Amino acid sequence: MKKEELNFGKSDQFNLTMIPGKFAKGMRTCKIWQLFRFAVINVKMLVVVAKSH
Amino acid sequence: MARIVIMGGGVSGHTTATFAKKWLGKDHEVVVVTPNSQWNWIPSNIWVGVGQMSKKDVVFPLAPVYKKAGIDFRQALAVSIHPEGNANSNSPYIVIESTKEDNKGEREELTYDYLVNATGPKLNFDATPGLGNGEGQMGTNTVSVCTADHAVHANEELQKIFDKAKTGARQKILVGTGHGMCTCQGAAFEYIFNIEHEAKKAGVRDNLDIKWISNESFLGDFGMGGLHMKVGGYAVSSKLFAESLYAERNVDWIIGAHTSKVEAGKIEYELLDGTMHEETFDFAMLIPPFAGVGLTAVAKDGSDMSSELFLPNGFMKVDAKYDAGAYENWKASDWPVTYQNPSYDNIFAAGIAFAPPHLISKPMSSPNGTPINPTPPRTGMPAGIIGKAVAHSVCDMITKGKDVELHKASMAEMGAACVASAGKGILDGSAAAMTVYPVVPDFEKYPGTGRDTDHTFGEIGLAGHWIKHILHHMFIYKAKLKPGWTLIPE
Repeated sequence: MKKEELNFGKSDQFNLTMIPGKFAKGMRTCKIWQLFRFAVINVKMLVVVAKSH
Repeated sequence: MARIVIMGGGVSGHTTATFAKKWLGKDHEVVVVTPNSQWNWIPSNIWVGVGQMSKKDVVFPLAPVYKKAGIDFRQALAVSIHPEGNANSNSPYIVIESTKEDNKGEREELTYDYLVNATGPKLNFDATPGLGNGEGQMGTNTVSVCTADHAVHANEELQKIFDKAKTGARQKILVGTGHGMCTCQGAAFEYIFNIEHEAKKAGVRDNLDIKWISNESFLGDFGMGGLHMKVGGYAVSSKLFAESLYAERNVDWIIGAHTSKVEAGKIEYELLDGTMHEETFDFAMLIPPFAGVGLTAVAKDGSDMSSELFLPNGFMKVDAKYDAGAYENWKASDWPVTYQNPSYDNIFAAGIAFAPPHLISKPMSSPNGTPINPTPPRTGMPAGIIGKAVAHSVCDMITKGKDVELHKASMAEMGAACVASAGKGILDGSAAAMTVYPVVPDFEKYPGTGRDTDHTFGEIGLAGHWIKHILHHMFIYKAKLKPGWTLIPE
């Protein structure tokens, strides 16, 4: 049973969207990957902040 | 010696006052008039609302900070603006009413050379019957996370729901917007997903039905008409990722809705197709619509001239194009640049207090004529940048003369970095980190999406949560004017 796919059956609204699988969900709290994303997101934000001032 | 009076000590007003004092030093006066004795980092109120922070984590007293900075702090409500003085004097002034316990209600006149209206929003709960108490405050049928005190109360009520759910009693939670013209969908988004996250931790998620209701015509609008970002080689609408999160977390949604009435345990709402519906709840957090705080303007002869300074919604007129007309004619250049009032060159409005020219989202209404569309958000970063630009303009007018070129901060030429929490936890939390550039879409410069997709993005994960928590500490540090505070950008 793919637990992450159960919600597709709960409503038409849910059925017509996308739901992350186990890997995509896991990467959201994978510390090493998120440390890397922390650096990347901060750079992206700093660029937008710099463009805005 | 010139006197700048800033009405409001929130993100925008505090930024204006602190930079103005820094740049002008002791040569000129800076006065802040605000009814609150404390500064509130509003973005963290949602965490107070789920019991993950306490009130003292999100507020601090203003008086000692302003004393340290040399800013004259008046804990008072601004009541009226007299831009031409009165029969006895040509000096412009405002009337303020003390909110301090020892002289509450006492009024005084405060003259100014320059006035900045940074009063923020009136939380217009009474715009929806049953949402307010009929006296301008929140009613008893729902909760709110708009202020720290509201959020403390919201958590108390939420914990009662969790306690009932623990006994096996199924509970219904409803979160979203309490009127067809609300903004701040982002705050409600954060609250609903933080509730869901806390419910899972408490082991009660399976006994909760959690539902969203909002005036957005699509999930992910956030009052900005949504955004487009590049993901996996595709340019994608925020709608897709917003719907995905709701489906993933089993949160049903009602959109295109105007909440028309609230009673104990029930709301009535109208949809964009004109049909009327009801929804029951055990716990509801519904954001109120915003209006201007209710300042009036008085002419020299004592007659009311409020329409000269304010739009009917109470927000102050600035250098925006208020006759832009139909949606098809809207342009990025409709939006204000200097935030100077067109009638009085020594009056400015910053943050939520300025009147936007129109919506950002596409205007929509039901066949009954009910407008159901989000109004434009003014989040922390734009509010701070505008406050700083206004401070710079006023300081230049004082030191270099009134004809100096004013500083510019159009929302159509600035971006915003936002972090929307989806659950607090240093190891298991998540937040959607987003940048939008520019805030107000410019379809002439960026045909198709209205934004630069190289600088518009969104991503959900633990990193976003770390960023939001760091920003909490960083902006409170900055607001307290601790060493190096000017190095932290708005």
